[in-house]
Amino acid sequence: MILPPLRYLRPGSVGDAVHWLTHIDGAIVLAGGQTLVNALKLDLVAPTALVDIHRLDELRSIAVSPDRTLTIGAATTYAALAASTDVRLTAPSVASMAAGLVDRQVRNRGTIGGNVCLNDPTNNFPPLLVALGARFTVLGPEGTRTIDADDFFVGTMTTALGNGELLVSIEIPPLPRGARLVHRHLQVGADSWAMARAVVRIDDDNGVVVASRVVVGAVLGSPQRLRLVERALVGLPTGGDLDGAAAEAFDRESIETVGDVHCSADYRRQMSKVQLRRALRDLAKGTPS
Amino acid sequence: MTMQDTATSTWTGKTVPRKEDDRLLKAQGEFGDDTPIAHLGHVVFVRSPYAHARILDIDVSAAESLPGYLGCLLPDEVDVLTDGFMELQPAPADAEVDKCLAAGGKVRFVGEPVVAVAGTSRQAARDVAATVVVDYEPLPHVVDARRAVEPEAPQVHDEIGSNVAWDGVYDWGDIDAALKSADHVIEVDELHFHRFSSTPLECSVVTVSYDAGIDTFNLIGGCAMPQITTLMMAAAMRHPAEKIRIVSKDFGGSFGVKIGMYVPATAVALLSRKLGRPMRWTETRTEHHWMGGHGNERWFHNVKMAVTSEGRVLGLSYDALDDVGAYTRYEPLGAVIWTQVANACYQLQHLKVHYRSIYTNKGPVHPNRGYSRLQHMWLVERMMDIAAHRLGFDPVQFRLQNYVQPEQYPYETVNGCVYDSGNLPLSLEKALDLIEYDDARRLQRESAGTGKRIGIGIGSTLDSGTNNFGQARLINQFLPFSGNTEGGLVRMGVDGSVYTVTGGVAFGQGHETTVAQVVADMLGLTPDEIITHRGSDSALSAQTGFSGSYASQFAVTGIGAILNATRKLVREIQLVAASILGATPEEIVLEGGHALVLGDPERALPFAAVAGIVHFSPADLPAEVADEVGLVGRAVYRAPFEIPDLERKRGNLTLTYASQIHACVLEIDEETGEVKILRYGMVDDCGTPINPMIIQGQVHGATVHGISAALFEHFAYDDDGQLLAANFYDYHAATALDLPSLRYDSVVSPSPFTPIGAKGMGEGGGAPLHAIAAAIQDAVGGDGGVVLESFNPPERILGLLNGGTESTVRVLR
Ligand SMILES: Cc1cc2nc3c(=O)[nH]c(=O)nc-3n(C[C@H](O)[C@H](O)[C@H](O)COP(=O)(O)OP(=O)(O)OC[C@H]3O[C@@H](n4cnc5c(N)ncnc54)[C@H](O)[C@@H]3O)c2cc1C
Repeated sequence: MILPPLRYLRPGSVGDAVHWLTHIDGAIVLAGGQTLVNALKLDLVAPTALVDIHRLDELRSIAVSPDRTLTIGAATTYAALAASTDVRLTAPSVASMAAGLVDRQVRNRGTIGGNVCLNDPTNNFPPLLVALGARFTVLGPEGTRTIDADDFFVGTMTTALGNGELLVSIEIPPLPRGARLVHRHLQVGADSWAMARAVVRIDDDNGVVVASRVVVGAVLGSPQRLRLVERALVGLPTGGDLDGAAAEAFDRESIETVGDVHCSADYRRQMSKVQLRRALRDLAKGTPS
Repeated sequence: MTMQDTATSTWTGKTVPRKEDDRLLKAQGEFGDDTPIAHLGHVVFVRSPYAHARILDIDVSAAESLPGYLGCLLPDEVDVLTDGFMELQPAPADAEVDKCLAAGGKVRFVGEPVVAVAGTSRQAARDVAATVVVDYEPLPHVVDARRAVEPEAPQVHDEIGSNVAWDGVYDWGDIDAALKSADHVIEVDELHFHRFSSTPLECSVVTVSYDAGIDTFNLIGGCAMPQITTLMMAAAMRHPAEKIRIVSKDFGGSFGVKIGMYVPATAVALLSRKLGRPMRWTETRTEHHWMGGHGNERWFHNVKMAVTSEGRVLGLSYDALDDVGAYTRYEPLGAVIWTQVANACYQLQHLKVHYRSIYTNKGPVHPNRGYSRLQHMWLVERMMDIAAHRLGFDPVQFRLQNYVQPEQYPYETVNGCVYDSGNLPLSLEKALDLIEYDDARRLQRESAGTGKRIGIGIGSTLDSGTNNFGQARLINQFLPFSGNTEGGLVRMGVDGSVYTVTGGVAFGQGHETTVAQVVADMLGLTPDEIITHRGSDSALSAQTGFSGSYASQFAVTGIGAILNATRKLVREIQLVAASILGATPEEIVLEGGHALVLGDPERALPFAAVAGIVHFSPADLPAEVADEVGLVGRAVYRAPFEIPDLERKRGNLTLTYASQIHACVLEIDEETGEVKILRYGMVDDCGTPINPMIIQGQVHGATVHGISAALFEHFAYDDDGQLLAANFYDYHAATALDLPSLRYDSVVSPSPFTPIGAKGMGEGGGAPLHAIAAAIQDAVGGDGGVVLESFNPPERILGLLNGGTESTVRVLR
């Protein structure tokens, strides 16, 4: 068979989903299936049961709270994110990332929860959500907990999710006034894998960078925050030579990359820097991407 | 036959919507996996995970207890039941043994079939395959043709004694003298044409039902060369060819690569006979990438070009290592096919090539769109460009001056091929107009200092069509092939309706439409009234040995045969009508579904009456007419060829030369090496058009394929011999998002040698590979490196911007 024998389960509620994930040994979540089904076909994973969450309405909501915090259900598709006025107004970078992701077929099925739980180094959302300081709400056998983006992404293809835990929603706090964010990437062709990815956010107070988040993707251990670069930017005038300061600090960062059929490890590393500098130049020009 | 033979030209040459689109758009096509068959078993191959390994043991015992298991086929059985497939190469490499399952106790590439298992469903067969245990002892392997020719290299075929499948020297003119005396000589140590392929939408599907009662194999599946496939299978299975029937229905693309389908088809046939059930094998995309047929990868070494101070190119010489992968299959025909276009588009006088076909532990190559000519023309075009840049000639003028000129046709090449017609300067002028050349140069100047560089490139190329199979004797004098033919059949049914079937096999080229157009003109009907057989069927007597679709020929051979066949039917209709209407056959003309007396339209017989009389009332006819007429025209088109001169390796090897001149403007990002194509112009000249819309479709397809190959598609292997792009995750075939809007124009230079002046053109000559390489070079400019690879992903382009390849390119004088 293309699929080994396994159980397919469609829970009626988030609670049921967690129950099955906890009590069935080898059960895993099926969301949009855009990665998981391919992985099953290629025999890369061998679950005993699939718990299909993609029809759970509880996981497909998009809400904005009075303080403008955006809460996105884990099973929200890219297409729904791209089409949502709430998302476009409160977190335009999330909407634009979703709108430009791969192709229509993948956008119609793939979910933001699947994207981050998979945490493939080439994936679009993990670096962005780290830069946005997102918080992840997780339901597990022990109840609910909330994890900061910095702690959620643990390493290549791994997250902080424990046994039986389900990602329920992602909370994106409003950017402080004066904060700006740009994401840049280099990919194979117009719609294929990322060779390099960078997201930069600077929080500007009276013309000075007071905080920054600089995150690269498509490297080992993605998403990786470049703390040295961040530190180099803080305190600089926002109109100053951010690009130069970042470039200098970048060279002191320890960044590991791998090569594949599309390019070498070395090129990937070099391109992270290029994408980072471009993002900073965009910021300097005031063009959000 | 000439244009006058078609009574009128109401339909030929017009854009007519494709007949086949109606069913295809309504999902009423019937592709390989669609045909319902009772009692069908499914075949799955267990394949080698190693590039080279000895097979120590095969254990299928676990399969026997599985539900749905039907049986299997092992290499030992194949050894007894079949002889090796016919090999085209002479000694010593003819010792190669190629069978449908790994032969000689070892595997030679990743993905090679080792065991074929059958199950009641495709899923059951997969489960069974997963339980088969093959014990391998890995052997040293070789994946680089340059390594494969070293004395200590691992041997892909132990019985041959080296990895050289074919070795020969072509030497026309006197290049040594030219290199000695020329004002300028350019030398390049190494250029490389990469491995990629076509990616047909439909992978291979083969269904075989063995009919024990009549000892006949009935095969359904996309088969691009049905009679050669029959011959290959018949000889291997020691079975009469007339007891193998091959039917193709709708067929989702071949581009040449499916010529290799006889290999898996033989395994499916053997299993069908062994298990007494029809069997189907449906190839997965990964299987297709492993062995569905790669295009030839070629290394060019010691390339030298001689040029005069006025910019006249005298000729060139090089050594080629053609990496054919683990088995020759259709190879080493590639070792001669390139010589069809020995001159490329230019007035070369001297050419010397030492060509070797080399085995490696990689997937076998197969003819692939532009087969073997593409590689040579890329080399010549690259050298033209390097010479222009290095010697300071304007790349446009340099090409214009060296092109074969319009008044020189028919033009004889260094090796006796005859370029039939063309107008390369006009084509180039139109291509430059399409990209607004002067304006593009302005953009280029303005781009300086912006971080983007703009480059303009020209790709000049030929699509040689209608092979002279006599060229096979140039690689092996004992091969009994020469000339070329195609068959066709046109008949009138009992009610006067007209049915046609050709020997050619369509897989997207719109044959049903173009056939209907020319037949409609000859019979005075409309294309809608012509019933065209979908696909092909070897039992319908429309085929000849060379039948099929490959080598850009249908517009000549397929259409030629159908015209000849229709002419026979016309003659029969005239005979019947003349005897009923009391006229001479010469006075009968066909118009609006009637046979009528010229100048006296009152005296007319509807086709239904002609058919009715012949089929149901023959007593109405004079005996000599009734005895002769069956209302079936079956005819052959023979391409006018002679056997080449084997001694001097000279002769006319193809009948037609369509030309494609492409021009491209692209932009390179200086920091990343990314390429963006800004403008792309294609000018096609394929002689008299039969259906301009279909031609444009073919041109677009070939262009997209070429752009994709130049920038994205690469069958790279790692050092372990693993294919790194075994599915579409890693093998990026261009999508609409990657492409510019394509600008098209045409030139019409009718071929003087073909039935209606048309030329084959479906392959395209790979012009985008040439044009893009040239444009990258133009953008990189004089301080950077030289484009020495046909494949240029961003990282490689960035390397070029940073220089690097200098020392391997030398201007000697
Ligand atoms: C052709 C193609 C190209 C692609 N290119 C890109 C690209 O360029 N960039 C990119 O970012 N992505 C790309 N993808 C992947 C796509 O974005 C996937 O949709 C995504 O990675 C996974 O999301 P999904 O909803 O499909 O999850 P699934 O495939 O269903 O699941 C992925 C993993 O996440 C787990 N999971 C899913 N949801 C949850 C949850 N709520 N809680 C806990 N675990 C969960 C699953 O168990 C599984 O392990 C591509 C996919 C395809 C088919």
